[in-house]
Amino acid sequence: MSLLQKILTLFRGTAHEAGQAVVDANAMKILDQEIRDAGNELLRSKEELTKVMAQRQLLAGKSQDRAGKKAEYETYIAGALRKGDEALAREVAERLATIETDLTSDQQTLAQYDGSIRALKTAITETERKLSRVKQQIDTVKATEAVQRAQGAVAARHSGANGKVGTALDSLERIQARQAERGARMQAAAQLESDSNDGDLNARLANAGLLGGSTSVDNILERFRDKPAQQLGHETPTLTGVIVEHTDADRSPRQ
Amino acid sequence: MSRWTTEELCMSLATAFGAANVEEIPTADGAVQVVLPELGDLGITIALTDHQLFVSTPLVDAAQVRDRAEFDNACMRLNPINPLSNLGLTTINERDTYIVFGELAPDSSITQLELEIRTLGDNAIDAIEVLKPYLVTA
Repeated sequence: MSLLQKILTLFRGTAHEAGQAVVDANAMKILDQEIRDAGNELLRSKEELTKVMAQRQLLAGKSQDRAGKKAEYETYIAGALRKGDEALAREVAERLATIETDLTSDQQTLAQYDGSIRALKTAITETERKLSRVKQQIDTVKATEAVQRAQGAVAARHSGANGKVGTALDSLERIQARQAERGARMQAAAQLESDSNDGDLNARLANAGLLGGSTSVDNILERFRDKPAQQLGHETPTLTGVIVEHTDADRSPRQ
Repeated sequence: MSRWTTEELCMSLATAFGAANVEEIPTADGAVQVVLPELGDLGITIALTDHQLFVSTPLVDAAQVRDRAEFDNACMRLNPINPLSNLGLTTINERDTYIVFGELAPDSSITQLELEIRTLGDNAIDAIEVLKPYLVTA
């Protein structure tokens, strides 16, 4: 079973137990132990690697000495043969034969060591990668647990015994309620403003005597000016004169 | 390893969000709660561990979901297009609760963390707005 599977099983297992932490402390201890075991295994692999590398180096040194001996014996054999000492040459050749056998065996053993070293290095890299991934998983579980515990604590404080946590849904409802309230307030303000604007306008219109039913001195005079004009025909030019004069006075500043 | 202690985190967050909106939650592990007033007082919880800064907010109580399978399906489809945050399901106070969460490297700056918190809040509100049709209407 992979570690993630174990963690998920633990989550499922504790979800039904009332009053339990999300992952109980014991389970966390077991997971932590697994990490320690993996860590120890890694350490052993590294020690093993060191040992094999040392052995290889030792053998490589020994083999180099043998290769030196081989070269030396070869010159001896050549020398003995040059001097016609067949017996001496044979004796050295026998020793050389042993050395050559040893050298061949050395090559095989060195190749085996190299193979072991490669395998151990690969295993170590792989274990290190796995270990760091597992550590991260455990860490995430711990972080999730920490957050849940904190959220639980906050919920218990705000909503008491039922322990219901405040969610984004609650916040959305609050936002929408606030928006609705703000909207209503803005509408009310706009209404108020438009009412007061109307009032202001009406007041200005009334002052200007343009509002229907409003009474002003000019209005009354205008009324009288209109009516007598129809009844007393001779007054009309005077009126026109007044109007023309007024219009001229209006234009004069522009000239 | 983390560059933050819970106390330092609290202080930096208080500067970013206002002291009144930041609070250390006294639990065994040490966590910090940030409240976002502009998002309907949404509470965002931050936990600090060796390998990460874990930021999370509850989305909705599973009891408020009309059809869990349907809702889960909608969440799975929403998740890939939800920038920088993930949707998930956990148990808070023995209640199945959907969450929105994100993780940051433990050596993240306060600027990065602040952005993460604000983005997470916006994402949570956006997500629940989209998922509202799947909830039991009160």
